[in-house]
Amino acid sequence: MIETPAIDYGALSPIIALVAGICVVLLVGLIGPRGRRGLSSALTLATLAAAAGLLVWQLGEPDADLVAGALRSDGLSITIGLIVVAAAALVVPLQLRDPAAEEAGFGETHTLLLGSVLGMLLLAEAQNLISFFVALELLSIPLYVLCGSHRSRSRSLESGLKYLIVGSIGSATLLYGSAFIYGGSGGATDFTAIAQGIGADLADDPLVLIGIALVAVGLAFKVSIAPFHQWTPDVYEGAPTPITAFMAVATKAAAFAVFARFFITALGPSADQWQPALAALAAVTIVVGNVGALGQDSLKRLLGYSGVAQAGYMLTGLLLGTVKGIDALVFYLAAYMLINMAAFAVIAVRERETAYGDDITAVQGIGKDRPALAWSLTISMLALAGLPGTAGFIGKLFLIEAAVAGNYTWLGVFIVVGSMISLVYYLRVVAAIWMRPAPRLAPAMAGASTEAAGEPGLPRRTGEPGRTPSGAPSGGRCWLVLGAILAATAATVAFGIVPSPLIDFSAHAGEGLASMLGPG
Amino acid sequence: MSISTWGWLVLAFPLAGSLLIALLYRVLSAKAAGWIGTLAIALAFACSVGALLGLLDRPADQREIASTLYDYAGAAGIPFDLGILVDPLSVFMALVVTGVSALIHLYSVAYMGSDRGYRRFFSFLNFFVFSMLLLVLAGNYVLLIVGWAFVGFASYALISFWYRRRTATDAGMKAFVINVIGDIGLVFAAILLIKELGVTDYGAVFELAPEAFTANEWTVVAICLLLIVGAIAKSAQAPLHTWLADAMEGPTPVSALIHAATMVTAGVYLIARSYPLFDLAPTAADVAAFIGLFTLLMAATIALVVTDLKRIIAFSTMSQIGYMIVGVSIGAYSAGLFHLMTHAFFKALLFMAAGSIIAAMAAIQDIDRMRGFRRAMPFTCGALIVGALALAGFPGTSGFFSKDEILAFAATRGGMYWIFAVGGYIGAILTAFYSFRIVFRVVYGEPCEEAKELEGGHLAHAEPVNPATGEVEDTDVGFPGPDHHIAEREWPMKVAMAVLAFGALFGGLIQIPGVTHVLESFLEPVFEASPIAATVHVSTTDAYIGMAVGGLCSLLGIGAAFYLYMVAPGSTLRLRDRFRRLHDFLFNRWYFDELLNALAYRPVIACGRFASGTFERVVVDGIVRGAGDGVGGLGTVVRTAQSGFVRFYALLVVAGLAGLGLYFLLAAS
Repeated sequence: MIETPAIDYGALSPIIALVAGICVVLLVGLIGPRGRRGLSSALTLATLAAAAGLLVWQLGEPDADLVAGALRSDGLSITIGLIVVAAAALVVPLQLRDPAAEEAGFGETHTLLLGSVLGMLLLAEAQNLISFFVALELLSIPLYVLCGSHRSRSRSLESGLKYLIVGSIGSATLLYGSAFIYGGSGGATDFTAIAQGIGADLADDPLVLIGIALVAVGLAFKVSIAPFHQWTPDVYEGAPTPITAFMAVATKAAAFAVFARFFITALGPSADQWQPALAALAAVTIVVGNVGALGQDSLKRLLGYSGVAQAGYMLTGLLLGTVKGIDALVFYLAAYMLINMAAFAVIAVRERETAYGDDITAVQGIGKDRPALAWSLTISMLALAGLPGTAGFIGKLFLIEAAVAGNYTWLGVFIVVGSMISLVYYLRVVAAIWMRPAPRLAPAMAGASTEAAGEPGLPRRTGEPGRTPSGAPSGGRCWLVLGAILAATAATVAFGIVPSPLIDFSAHAGEGLASMLGPG
Repeated sequence: MSISTWGWLVLAFPLAGSLLIALLYRVLSAKAAGWIGTLAIALAFACSVGALLGLLDRPADQREIASTLYDYAGAAGIPFDLGILVDPLSVFMALVVTGVSALIHLYSVAYMGSDRGYRRFFSFLNFFVFSMLLLVLAGNYVLLIVGWAFVGFASYALISFWYRRRTATDAGMKAFVINVIGDIGLVFAAILLIKELGVTDYGAVFELAPEAFTANEWTVVAICLLLIVGAIAKSAQAPLHTWLADAMEGPTPVSALIHAATMVTAGVYLIARSYPLFDLAPTAADVAAFIGLFTLLMAATIALVVTDLKRIIAFSTMSQIGYMIVGVSIGAYSAGLFHLMTHAFFKALLFMAAGSIIAAMAAIQDIDRMRGFRRAMPFTCGALIVGALALAGFPGTSGFFSKDEILAFAATRGGMYWIFAVGGYIGAILTAFYSFRIVFRVVYGEPCEEAKELEGGHLAHAEPVNPATGEVEDTDVGFPGPDHHIAEREWPMKVAMAVLAFGALFGGLIQIPGVTHVLESFLEPVFEASPIAATVHVSTTDAYIGMAVGGLCSLLGIGAAFYLYMVAPGSTLRLRDRFRRLHDFLFNRWYFDELLNALAYRPVIACGRFASGTFERVVVDGIVRGAGDGVGGLGTVVRTAQSGFVRFYALLVVAGLAGLGLYFLLAAS
C-alpha cells in the first residue's frame, strides 16, 4: 500500500477551484465558436471570484501545511493570492476587445491566464524546493505564450521569445542554486529543513553561499531587480498591454512572496550574509530604474523602468527580515496592483483608440476629451511617484519607516531620492495629459495614410503590420473597462486617505512569517 | 462650535470649492466658478475668525488644541496622524492666508475675466489655498510635509497655467524641481526625527527634544539644517531662490498669491514653528539668519537694475522674506511674523497694482516703456504709491513698524547680531530706493502712448505676444485671454485693492512700541518657552531710536530715487555706463542661474541623456531596426533576438552574478 499524505482540502480549495475553472474555460473555448468572448470571460471571472472567495475564507483559518509540507497556506500566501486574483480579474475586462486575445482565441487566452494565476498561487504557497520550481515554471510558461499571443505583430512575438530565453536563464540559475543549497544543507528540500540543515555552522559555507547567490539571481530576474532587469522594458513594450499589466503586477507579487518565504524561512540563518548584498542590489535597482525611465517616450517602457524602481523599493521591505518589513512589502504590492492596473488599462484603451500605440502622444490632450481616463492616469502617475493622498504615499511611508526601524536608514534615503527623481518622468505624463494639445491627425487617418510616418508628431513605431486602425475596435467606451479603471483609481485614493483596511490586510502577511522573523 | 471644528472647516471649504469647480466645470458658467472659489475662501476666513474668537475665550495657557481625524499610528505603527493643531501661531497664519487669498480671489474674478481657462484657474487657486492651510494647520511634521508637497504641486500647476507658453512651463518645472529639493530636506529631517525620537507630533517632539539632545549636538543641528533646506527652497532664499523670478510667468494674481500671502512665507512659518529645535541648535539658527541676511541684500541690489515690473517686485519679495528669516532665526519670533503679515498686505497690493498697469499696457511688463500713468489711472497709481510707501518703510506705514521691530531686536541682542541690524538698515535704504524707482517711473513723467490712450478713455490693445520672448500667441485656452482688465473699470479689483491698501497703511498700528502689542501678546503663549525671547527685551527707548534710524533710511532711499529719476533724469544711464561691470553682474542676478545650471542641472540632464541616448541606442534601437527590416516573420525575430541583445543581456547577467558570487565568497572567507 502506498501511504498517501493527509491533505487539507479546505486549505487547498482555492487551488482546486482554479484547476476546475481552467478545465471548464478550456472546454467551453473548444466547443463554442471562436469569438465566444462573453461566455469565456464570464466563466473566467466566475473562477476567479470562486478562488477569491475561498481565499478570503481561508484568511480566518489557522496556518496549515498542505500536501506533506510541499505547500503552506498562511497569511503571506493568502494575501499575495488575493492580490494576484484581483489583478487577473481586472485584466479580464481589458481583454474583452483586445486584438491579441481576439486573434489567439478567448478560450485559450483565458485558460493560459488562469494557468498562470494557478502557478502564482502555488508559488506563494511553495514550501519546498521542488514545489517552488514547479510553481515558478507553471506561472512562467503560460506567460511566455501570452506575451507572444499577438501573432500578427512581430514585436509581440519577439517579446514572447525574449521572455522565454531570458526567463529560462533565470530558471536555470535558480535550479542550479537550489542544487547547491540542497547539497549544502545536507540533502534537505523543505524550507524549514534547509534552515535546520544550514544552522549556525554552515551559514557562511561557500557552497551554501554560492547557492544563495544563484537563487537570488534567479528570483531577481522574476522581480526585475537590476542588473537582471534588462528584459523588463523590452518585454513589457512588446507584449499585449493587458498581459503586460498582469505581468507587471501579479508576477512581481508572487515572486516576491516566494522570495520572502525562501530567504526568511530557509536562509534565515545566513541573513547576515545576504542582507548587505540584497541591500546593495536594492540601491542599484532604485537608481537604475529611475534613471532609465527618464528619457522614455513609450509609456509601457516607462512603466517597465518604473516597475524596476518599485522592485527596488519592495526589496528593501523584504531584506529587512522584520514583520514590519513584510507588512510594508505586501501593502506596497497591493497598492502597486491598484495603481498599475489603472495606468495600464488607460494605456490599453488609448492604444485601441489612436494610432499612436503606447507612445506618450496617445495620451496628449485627453484631459479635455476623456476626463475620466485623464484623471485615472494622472492619479496613477502621482500615486506611483508617492504623492500624498494616494496609497502610493502610505506605501512608501511604510517602507521608509520599516527601513529606519530595521537599521537600514540609508536605504530609506535611497527611496526618498529615487521618488524625487521619479517625479520628473511621471509629471511628464501628467503634463502631456493636461498641458499639451491633442495630436492633430484624426486617428483613423493617421494609420491609413502613408504620409503619416513623416508627420513629426508621430512616433516611429506606427507603421507596424498587424495594427490596422480601421479594424481596431473602440474598447475604450466599454463600460466594464471604464468601471474597472475607475474602481482601481478610487481605491488608490481611498486607501491613501484611510489606509487601515489595507494595513489590516497586509498585517496578515507578517503574521504568516512571524515565527521566523525578528520583531520590529 | 468647538475650536477644532472651526479648524477643520477652514480646511474643508477651500478643498470643497476646488473639487466642486473641478467636477462641475462643464455645468458652471465661468463667473459662477469664480464666485464659488471666492466664497469658499471667504468662508474659510470666517472660520479662521471663529477659531480666533474661540482661542481668545480661553485663558492664555490653554490655547493649544490638537484634534485628530484619523490616527495612522493605531493602524500601522507609524507615528503620525491626520491631525491639526489650532494654536495662536496656526490661527494667525490661517487668518493671513485666508484673508489675503480671499481678496486675491476677488481680484481674479475680474482680472482673469476673459481667460479661456477661467474654471481651471479657480480650481487650482482653491487647491493652492487648501494646501497652504494644510501646511499651517498640520499637527505634525508628516502632515506638514504633505501640505508642503501639495503646495509645490499647486504652484507648479499655477505657474504653468498658460501652458502653451514655453517660458511658463519651463518656469513651472524649475519651481517644482527646486521645491522638491526642499521637500527632500524636510523628508530627511522627518526621518531623523522618527529615528531619534520616534514621534512627529509637534508637542511630543518639542517635549522630548530637550531630553534627547544636548545643545548643538550634531543630530539636532543636522535636523535643523535639513529643515532650513526645506525653508529656503520654499521661501526663495539663496542659493535656492532662482525659481521665484521665473515664477512671474504665471498670471499676476498667482504672483500675488504665491509671493505675498502664502507659499513663500512657509519657510518663515516652519522656522518659527520649530523654534524649540532651533533653540537646541543655535549654530543652525545662525546659519539661517546669515542666509536671510545675504538674500536680503543680494535680492535688493538686483531689484535696483531689473526692468521687468513683476520681477522687481519678485526680487523685493526675496529681500523682504530675508528680513523675516533673519527675524525668526535670531529669536524675534513675533516681530518676524508681524513683518510676514504686513508684507502680505503691501506685497499683494503692489502685485495687484502692477497687474492693473500691465493690463493697461496691453501685457507689456518692461518699466522702460511705462510712464506717467497718474492721470490715466489715479486709483491704481494711488494703490501703487501706498504699497511702495509701506514697502519702503515710510514712517507710520505698516512696513515701518514691522521691519524696525526685527532690527531693533537684533541690535538689542547685541554681539554678533549687530551685523543683522546694520545689514537690515542698508537693505532698507536699497528697498526704499527701488520701490520709488517704480513709482517715479510708472506714475510720474510724460505719459507714454498707452497712458495717453487711456486718458482718452480707450484701453490699449495689442497683438497678444509673450512679454518675455515676443513670440506671437493666440488667445485660446493655454494663453492669456483677449481682453485686459484694469482696476479703474472693475469693482472687484478696486475693492480688493482698497482693503489691502488700508491694511498696508494702518496694519502697523497693532504693534506700536510702548503703545500697542496686540500681536505680541497673542503669540506669546506659543513662544514663551524660548530662552532668547525670555532674555532679550527691546526697551521702548531703543525701539524709538531704531525707528528713527529706519525712518531716516527710508527717507534717504526715497530721496535718492527722487533725485535720480525726477530731478536729474537720465543720470541713471550715466551711472550704468560708468559701472558697466557692476550693472551686468546685478542685471544677471549675480549669475546664480548659471551657477546652478553648471552644478546641478547639467549633470542631471547628462545622466538622462546617457540613459535615453547611449543606453537606448545600444539596446533598443537595434531591436526596432532589426524587427522593422523584415516582414515580421519568426525568422527575423529569432535572428534579432539572438544577434546581440539577448547576448548582451547574458553578459550583464554573468557580470552581475559574478559580482554577487564574489561578494559572497569574500564574505565567507
